[in-house]
Amino acid sequence: MFPQFGATADTLSKASTMVFRIGTDAHLYDDPEDVNISLLLDSKFDSEKCEALKRLLALIAQGFDVSNFFPQVVKNVASQSLEVKKLVYLYLLHYAEKRPNEALLSINSFQKDLGDPNPLVRALALRAMAGIRLHVISPIVLVAVGKCARDPSVYVRKCAANALPKLYDLHLEENTTTIEEIVGILLNDNSPGVVGAAAAAFASVCPNNLSLIERNYRRLCETLPDVEDWGQIVLIGVLLRYVIARHGLAKESIMLSSCATVSYRSENDGSENDGSDTNFELKENGKDKGCDVYESELPEIVSRSYLEGPENYLSRSSHADKGSFGLDFSCFTSAKSNYDVKILLQCTSPLLWSHNSAVVLAAAGFHWIMAPKEDVKRIVKPLLFVLRSSNASKYVVLCNIQVFAKVMPYVFSPYYEDFFICSSDSYQIKALKLEILSSIATDSSILVIFQEFQDYVRDPDRRFAADTVAAIGLCVRRLPKVSDMCLGWLLALTRQESLNSDIGSVGGEDGVLVQALISIKAIINLDPPCHEKVIVQLVRSLELIKVPAARAMIFWMVGEYNSIGGIIPLMLPTVLKYLAWCFTSEALEAKLQILNTAVKVLLCSKGEDMWTFRRILSYVLELAICDLSYDVRDRARVLKKLLSPLIVSHDLEVEAKGLPENKDLKIVVADLFFRGQSKPCPEPINYRFYLPGSLSHIVLHAAPGYEPLPYPCSLSIDELGHDFNDVQGIEALREGPTGSDSYGVDGSDTVSGSLDGENTSDYSSEYSITGSGGSGGEESGSVSESDDNADPLINFSDVSNACANQNGGSQDNNAPSRIDDFEELMSKKSLDSWLDEHPSQSSSELTHIQRSSARISLGHIGGRVKLKSHKLLDPVIGNGLSVDYTFSSEISSVSPLLVCVEVSFTNCSTEPMSKLLLVDEESSKGIDSAEAALATSESPLTSDKDVPILVPLEDINSLDASQTIRRILQVRFHHHLLPLKLVLWCNGKKHPVKLRPDIGFFVKPLPMDIEMFTSKESQLPGMFEYTRSCTFTDHIGELKNEQCDSSLIKDKFLVICESLALKMLSNANLFLVSVDMPVAANLDDASGLRLRFSSEILSNSIPCLITATVEGKCSEPLTLSVKVNCEETVFGLNLLNRIVNFLAEPILTTL
Amino acid sequence: MLEKQLTGHRVDRSICAWFWEQVISQGDSFKVQCEQHPSRCHSILCSMEDNRPEKHTNNEVYVDLVEEMDAIINSDGALVKCEIHGEVQVNSHLSGLPDLTLSFANPSILNDVRFHPCVRFRPWESHQILSFVPPDGQFKLMSYRVKKLKSTPIYVKPQVTSDSGICRISVMVGIRNDPGKTIDSITVQFQLPPCVLSADLTSNHGAVNILANKTCSWSIGRIPKDKAPSMSGTLTLETGLERLRVFPTFQVGFKVMGVALSGLQIDKLDLKNLPNRPYKGFRALTRAGEFDVRS
Repeated sequence: MFPQFGATADTLSKASTMVFRIGTDAHLYDDPEDVNISLLLDSKFDSEKCEALKRLLALIAQGFDVSNFFPQVVKNVASQSLEVKKLVYLYLLHYAEKRPNEALLSINSFQKDLGDPNPLVRALALRAMAGIRLHVISPIVLVAVGKCARDPSVYVRKCAANALPKLYDLHLEENTTTIEEIVGILLNDNSPGVVGAAAAAFASVCPNNLSLIERNYRRLCETLPDVEDWGQIVLIGVLLRYVIARHGLAKESIMLSSCATVSYRSENDGSENDGSDTNFELKENGKDKGCDVYESELPEIVSRSYLEGPENYLSRSSHADKGSFGLDFSCFTSAKSNYDVKILLQCTSPLLWSHNSAVVLAAAGFHWIMAPKEDVKRIVKPLLFVLRSSNASKYVVLCNIQVFAKVMPYVFSPYYEDFFICSSDSYQIKALKLEILSSIATDSSILVIFQEFQDYVRDPDRRFAADTVAAIGLCVRRLPKVSDMCLGWLLALTRQESLNSDIGSVGGEDGVLVQALISIKAIINLDPPCHEKVIVQLVRSLELIKVPAARAMIFWMVGEYNSIGGIIPLMLPTVLKYLAWCFTSEALEAKLQILNTAVKVLLCSKGEDMWTFRRILSYVLELAICDLSYDVRDRARVLKKLLSPLIVSHDLEVEAKGLPENKDLKIVVADLFFRGQSKPCPEPINYRFYLPGSLSHIVLHAAPGYEPLPYPCSLSIDELGHDFNDVQGIEALREGPTGSDSYGVDGSDTVSGSLDGENTSDYSSEYSITGSGGSGGEESGSVSESDDNADPLINFSDVSNACANQNGGSQDNNAPSRIDDFEELMSKKSLDSWLDEHPSQSSSELTHIQRSSARISLGHIGGRVKLKSHKLLDPVIGNGLSVDYTFSSEISSVSPLLVCVEVSFTNCSTEPMSKLLLVDEESSKGIDSAEAALATSESPLTSDKDVPILVPLEDINSLDASQTIRRILQVRFHHHLLPLKLVLWCNGKKHPVKLRPDIGFFVKPLPMDIEMFTSKESQLPGMFEYTRSCTFTDHIGELKNEQCDSSLIKDKFLVICESLALKMLSNANLFLVSVDMPVAANLDDASGLRLRFSSEILSNSIPCLITATVEGKCSEPLTLSVKVNCEETVFGLNLLNRIVNFLAEPILTTL
Repeated sequence: MLEKQLTGHRVDRSICAWFWEQVISQGDSFKVQCEQHPSRCHSILCSMEDNRPEKHTNNEVYVDLVEEMDAIINSDGALVKCEIHGEVQVNSHLSGLPDLTLSFANPSILNDVRFHPCVRFRPWESHQILSFVPPDGQFKLMSYRVKKLKSTPIYVKPQVTSDSGICRISVMVGIRNDPGKTIDSITVQFQLPPCVLSADLTSNHGAVNILANKTCSWSIGRIPKDKAPSMSGTLTLETGLERLRVFPTFQVGFKVMGVALSGLQIDKLDLKNLPNRPYKGFRALTRAGEFDVRS
């Protein structure tokens, strides 16, 4: 109405806000775009630039995308003004990841700022650089991080730690070692802030490289209380894994109590005896037979689940006997005497007072696993105190307490009051509290708890009320003493509920009644003769109870307990008549139960009643046969046929005649009905236990990234001595649980030097690669690598004095003579005697290219070749189906275009799977059923054009739980580098998967001798020759290992050769032509060592020659120059890149 | 993920120039202080976020005891559980690096404790003394729990009887145990059971409101001297339902200023390392937390 006035009011209010905000920049938020920002940005005054940047940041804060200003902003990074610089970096931090290419333009400024005297600028520069996620600049960033990790400023070092996971995310395989080194440096830092960030980096970069922790363990423990909250949580997890891998489980802890169940029980009995002063009362005494075994097994199940992961444990225990997991008794430690464990327990105890609930939970989880059982009670009060925080954390903590309380009820039982329900609790929290209450109730507390339960049943939430009734049943099963009281109350409840159930059609009303009857049934089942009167009362209340499920349950009880006590048999005729009378008006389930009951009663009856029962049964059967429900009709027919002699026979005479037959029948039918009733077996434990505090524990399945505890004592001391051996150690560690039983087998395998017969190769038995692939092959490889260093790899094939290190035993014996031999060789210089032992290379003995080099042959290396297995389908995604693939050295017999891939299907779930089929995406398109896909792909192959993408493998009809089936898959990749999309069918479900090609297996070995190699090489000069260099470090770990085992002195050159050849053969399908060794004066100089490999491309049989030449000193990282000679340029280059990549990457854990 | 955590962390967001100015002006001594008091350093970084200068014209520190009483009274009127969940909140505006020591007269009543990261663990372990270097501004120094209290300051007695489709409710409220200060903003709330069709409730003191989600709230305020507040009325049940079988739980709210009902008493607050004597203030407050009365 008064626009002018309105406008004035508006300006007035604006003015007033201006007045209040004088001296701040807050006004910039009101209308950041009311000036031309780009003009301001280009201004020559710093103050205007500042204002522009502040406006931009204000816009970012309000959710606008202002990345279009990027070029203008980024050039200001070179500004001299600190204020401008900071604002520019704030902007860059936000957009570096989104606009990497523009950010790249100012990379030089960032690098310059890394040397800025102001630590803040250094940190910001580093953060901006790490934020640009481009492979191109990763080496620069890595150098920058390395530099900043040694920065004098705490904050810069912390930023360096935070940058590491970002770098690692780029999958810089060749830089992994460097990143891990930096993690090590940062873990060694003095400042708690840096240590926290370094722990986070460790957990995401190299969680298994526990030797980094070894160095700093004590200091890490001591700084733990000063680290910031979130770092504390990560650090506790890391230290826990380390302690277990290094020292094993604590023998006093809950984790090992299961190993000596007997002692545990006796201990518990002890604590019960002196329970008067300790408050702990143990209620599991001998009376509850059924639950007894079940409860004592629980700690074992929990500890095994923690160690193996519940999936593994459950699937294994369902198949084999539970004892097969050989938990070595030698691999435990003592929480009381081991200083490392003790100090960590001490340092985590004050964290139980943390104001951060997650820290309390993490510390409690650690104590739960490592603390002596009598000290576990220390975690109880802090955990209960955390319950008074937010609803979400309450739920998480309760989920964890639930497991703790199940395993050690007595530590929680004095605190039952904390689990009483408040009106503000959500249903989930109430349900958890009920479950915990029912598992910690003791004889002394049950009365109070029961009183509470009575209040809960009156709650308006009927679902909760029903749960309460169920909880009462559970309590009585644990504490039979109160059964009479509870039964009386439950009966009263039944009566009261049944009164209402006819009207109260509101949801959940029936639930309470049904649950009450289920509880009554369970209680009666504990001791039927004592509760005869209860059954009588229930039968009497049948008139009132209208809920079909409840009625069915009472009918069942009548049938089940028809012969116990004195009253029931007397009233049976009347009851049965009543049942027959109301049969037609019953619901389906009740009708079925009436039929069952009638039969049961008849079968157990004696004397004159039998006649009545028989008549009733035949009457009921008549009715049932005409029933509307086919279930009832079917059952009636079966029973009628089965019991025909019983029903039809009217006089005793006939019955007497048919007695033997009848008796048989009786047995058969009785068996039919009474089977499984003897005693209800304790419910199978369907819980899956995950580590306390983990996300997986809340969602009850393995969340991505979840890892069970490491195998105890898997980190051995000698592994810790060497930095480069760590990875191997970890590999063994990861393999630990599964590999433990395969140690012996593998040992013999490698010692004898024989190859697995699983896969035959047609070119050279010596260099054949074990094609066992999959997990088996990998396991054996890794185990043997870490385990037996005495394994022979190289044979000096000198005709006269071959070094006889063919196997471990003989090598030990011949060790001194071997050295002599070697000296002799060196002095003799008669290189003609360096012969090739193997027939396939016998021709090479004729000539020598280089006078100054010796040629050796590496024997039995094939046995150690370890093919890398890749994951095709993760069990988490594939509903428990795990599929791995390994590029096999086999050559396809169908077409040269095809590459053989060995695929192993493993069923990690507990149920069998059926109809497994792998097809390519195209053929599965538009075809619904897997069968149809199979039909189309079965068409015969005629020419190259018709070569299918996938030669169909025999489909696997069924895969039992934890069974593994291997299949050879022949695939035609369209491209050397791009993944192939496939579709995996399983149980009728479709899983899209990607098969990544490995160019190393697009070639096949081309056996040739050295002469042929050199002549071929000379034909492929110039543009057909490509060279790249890289660093090679694998041998260092080996060499260090050698130094440890002082008894075995191996030649360094041999170690280098063997590790290099192994690496090549493991990652590509090649033929090792020759190994040329320099015979130089300097024993430490490996320069000149040369390995030659030959191969031909699968698809067009073009030869491809590879030469690797070593430069550098033996004990240091070597420079390798790799040369590829190949006519097919693109292929050759790609192959070269691949070779350089895998050579440079350190021995990695292959999980 | 990690990045998120870090940006979320208070220290990490643009550390302002102030810190570095301090470093430059105070030189190494400042750094040493930071090394010695990691928590203090942390708090300095925290405080920088607010751009709050470390130099305060008026040196003052306030310590508040804020307590919440959780209680469950069962349908028989018996006190099943009664405990206090309290917090020691400190508002500190002190210059420099003050070292504070707070001790309680009766620390033994504390059942559970949790601390702010600035609290040193050792003095608490040995003498139950809170020794800390406070961050600037308001923060939660400690939270604690006192269990097994014997009585509540007020009583709420609900009576629910139902007959022939009508349910009669009456609730009485009064002072059971006078804390010595006025009990303020007393409220009683309960959820009408789903089977209730309509409700007609009146009170002799305060206002009764029935909200849309069937929550009935009776705000009493202070209890008058001359009469005991009571609310009574009838609930009409669904047709066909004779009597009410589910019973609502009454949630009680109240506030008492100036008293910590747990009985926890602050003995003294010592300040060290301060140029001039600061102003020290103490306050206490108790309010109802999870105060449930079942009917």
